[in-house]
Amino acid sequence: MPKLTIDGREVEVPQGTNLIEAARLAGVEVPYFCYHPYLSVVGQCRICMVEIEGQPRLAIACATPAADGMVVKSETSERVREAREAVMEFLLANHPLDCPVCDQAGECLLQDHAMSEQRGTFASGMLETRRTFPGLERRLLGPHVIQNQNRCIHCSRCIRFTQEISETSALTYKSRGNSAYIDTFDGKPFDDPFSACAADVCPVGALTVREFRFRKRAWKLLSTPSVCPGCSIGCNIWIDHHERIVYRFTPRENPDINATWLCDYGRFLAESLNQQDVLRPRRKAGSGWQELSWPEVLRALALDMKAAKTLRVVASGTMSNEELYLARELFTRHLKGEMVVPVFAGEPRKMKNGQRQWIFSESALPNSEGAKRLGIPTADEQGLARFLYGAADVTVILDPQAHPFLASPEAAQLVKVSPAVVVARVETPLLDAATWVLPAASLASNEGTFTSSTGKVQRFAAAVAPAGEARPLWQVLSLLASELGFGSLAADTPAQVFASLAAAEEAFSGLSWDQLLGAEEESYRERHHVG
Amino acid sequence: MMESVLLRARGVPNSRDIETYLKAGGWEGFKKALTMAPEAVIQEVMDSELRGRGGAGFPTGRKWSFVPKDHPGPKYLICNADESEPGTFKDREIIEHDPQMVLEGVAIASYAIGAHTAYIYIRGEFFRWARILEEAIAQARAKGFLGKDILNTGYDLDIWVHRGAGAYICGEETALIESLEGKRGFPRLKPPFPAVVGVFGKPTVVNNVETLACLPHILTRGAKWFASIGRPKNTGPKLFCVSGHVNKPGVYELPLGVTFREIIFEHAGGIRNGRKLKAFFPGGSSAPVLTADEVDVVADFDSCAAAGTMLGSGGVIVMDDTVDMVEVGRNLAHFYAHESCGQCTPCREGSDWCLDILNRLVGGYGHPSDPDQLLRICRFASQGMTICPLGDAFSLPISSLVRKFRHEFEAAIARAKPLPPKKLPVMPWAGKDVRFGG
Repeated sequence: MPKLTIDGREVEVPQGTNLIEAARLAGVEVPYFCYHPYLSVVGQCRICMVEIEGQPRLAIACATPAADGMVVKSETSERVREAREAVMEFLLANHPLDCPVCDQAGECLLQDHAMSEQRGTFASGMLETRRTFPGLERRLLGPHVIQNQNRCIHCSRCIRFTQEISETSALTYKSRGNSAYIDTFDGKPFDDPFSACAADVCPVGALTVREFRFRKRAWKLLSTPSVCPGCSIGCNIWIDHHERIVYRFTPRENPDINATWLCDYGRFLAESLNQQDVLRPRRKAGSGWQELSWPEVLRALALDMKAAKTLRVVASGTMSNEELYLARELFTRHLKGEMVVPVFAGEPRKMKNGQRQWIFSESALPNSEGAKRLGIPTADEQGLARFLYGAADVTVILDPQAHPFLASPEAAQLVKVSPAVVVARVETPLLDAATWVLPAASLASNEGTFTSSTGKVQRFAAAVAPAGEARPLWQVLSLLASELGFGSLAADTPAQVFASLAAAEEAFSGLSWDQLLGAEEESYRERHHVG
Repeated sequence: MMESVLLRARGVPNSRDIETYLKAGGWEGFKKALTMAPEAVIQEVMDSELRGRGGAGFPTGRKWSFVPKDHPGPKYLICNADESEPGTFKDREIIEHDPQMVLEGVAIASYAIGAHTAYIYIRGEFFRWARILEEAIAQARAKGFLGKDILNTGYDLDIWVHRGAGAYICGEETALIESLEGKRGFPRLKPPFPAVVGVFGKPTVVNNVETLACLPHILTRGAKWFASIGRPKNTGPKLFCVSGHVNKPGVYELPLGVTFREIIFEHAGGIRNGRKLKAFFPGGSSAPVLTADEVDVVADFDSCAAAGTMLGSGGVIVMDDTVDMVEVGRNLAHFYAHESCGQCTPCREGSDWCLDILNRLVGGYGHPSDPDQLLRICRFASQGMTICPLGDAFSLPISSLVRKFRHEFEAAIARAKPLPPKKLPVMPWAGKDVRFGG
């Protein structure tokens, strides 16, 4: 463990730590543009210059490993200040400085550094016209990425991302020197399953995400830690939202699962969370619907369920561990019903973790592993059809998106036969077959834990308040339980449910709610590594 | 006048043929090296005090000694024939007349560091000389100097000629290695140095053609003989490529330690048309310029360094009093801005910015701040601010021009028209990049 001094602060760091990370541990911010902790070090931007005592020339902090007894000066060195100012002058010489109309503004490393370190006092002696790239100012590089080459600072992060992480080597430099620009290697569209990450790692506005571009200013967004609902890998995300609208997902650092990456499929699920078709509980009345309040509907449902001799419940891999636990306890233990969780593999997804190993998805839904661990029987398409076949006194479908089969007309036919309760957010043909429809809140309004296919229990937090009368499923189940008189299942928060779950289930023993969230607040580091 | 060593084949009929080379005592050095231990060969080269002829002047024997002795995998030797420095044409001359000497040097160096594969990385434009080398390799292989079990000693060596694609930066050893690996010619971060992690991740030595061509002579005639030529620490014969406004431009082989006055006025026949010497670049265009007053500087590595310049590749570019130094700067900046690889910020932006300023100056739109701005750019694009020495290569000569001929820059500014009104194109409205002057 080398011990070194950075700007007068002593710090002990693990062997092999570079000076940027060492300085961070010492509480000193060394600026950088091309360095990224999960990409190789190239030392191209030259802004991370530091002075090391005993070395005649300045060294780049990203490529210099910390050594025992090193005395490093960053902000305290006049030479370093001059050099960084010069590098900024070089970088800004041809940068368009169109921050007011640039969508990266607010989360741009170049802007941040220009404003904070240089305190806005920066001036350039440049009299020349800026170098521009006609035709490359707003080019669709691929389906999700828009390029403005004028803003590029040639850090090569996007190129290294496609070489080292997504392994498509899709992007490359073309031309040379100051005319060098980013393009796809073969000139074809940049169609990479992780393409938006190239825009994430871009420290400036040269690559921006088409879906998010000009939707919301970055500084207005609030970020809430969550877990991607796209597959069973369980990538950590930030839900970026403003005024109860979800605008995007950005990757949240987790070295064991997704480093700082996110696949395009998962990322662009973000805006689907805003969809809330079912706003109020309703009951079929003749050929139409009757809207009810929650107390009314819960009272009526409780009566029906108490009277039911046969009760069958379709749970879902989209439900949190707490919801699955509550459903299992309520429907199978107390009401002696039958419950299954449909499983399906869906499209294969993959993710690269911080050790650069691929993780492959096992299921299309985020918490199929949690259902397995809670011992809930699983069902494939045939099993599900068999399960729903015939009549029952009450059928409960907790999420119509639990399996693609539930969207089919056959499923609607099966459900139609007997009284059915469907908890849903989005209108599907299944809702027409239901007797009761209850509004469910989206992931962005829910709170709980998912178990990833690698076995990690990860918590997600609620970002926005649910729309209309929609309630998180755990709350619905808990209220229904108290209505039915099973007071032991009533809970005010998912944390309480988790506590009883952790006490009762061996698979969850020893886990504490407070430690499952990862980063609670958005840190400088988190934000700036994704660009 | 010393005898010709490196250029002894110049003027000899059929000099490229291996028979001619063998008659002149060729491949004897390699035969002798094969009887010695590799360490002894390295020691011999160290004793000769041979310094690299590619530009940096690093002692060759020491460079070899950095290669790990007990490395289990393959090691490589690369002969750098990517001669692209403006004003330099010595390697071409050696290959043209005596390719076997280069091959013998490659063989000796490969044996010394324990390499069984050597590459000759030759500049893309040198297709004629690449063919000459290919023919020479075929001849040497037929005679048993290359291939498996050379001269029954059990030592194997293969030499491959690899043609570059014409980028100046690929003369920098790590960019050369990247290019040889089939990648874009971007210099690598150092450390690790190529002697430890080189081509294909293996220890690699990169030597210049002229350096390698010295080796057969060191081996046959001894380190003592070699060290007796020239001055202490700056030994041996050196090729000087004299170009520009002299009566007899060409490649001259002279011992290190002659003065530039001798090179320009005795050997190259003085300035053309009886004009006056104004300035000269002593070692290719990357070396800081020397004025006519500094013509008595001794042409060796250490004396040039003491005079604030460098011997570099030995490309002496002579300029007479008709030359406009601002135009010289523009010419240099044009070359370096075009050849900057675009990887690191100070060189990519700085070289192009210098070119813009000099274009403006030449075009008659100078501004009083220009000389200082040029000096500032050059200061922060050199001295370790960049990944490779290309930053220094454009900064040092341009800043030396501004320092030594500031009056010419100021005269150009005094003649200047006022700057036209400036547009800041956030988006180019005319679809075309408009530049001043150039």
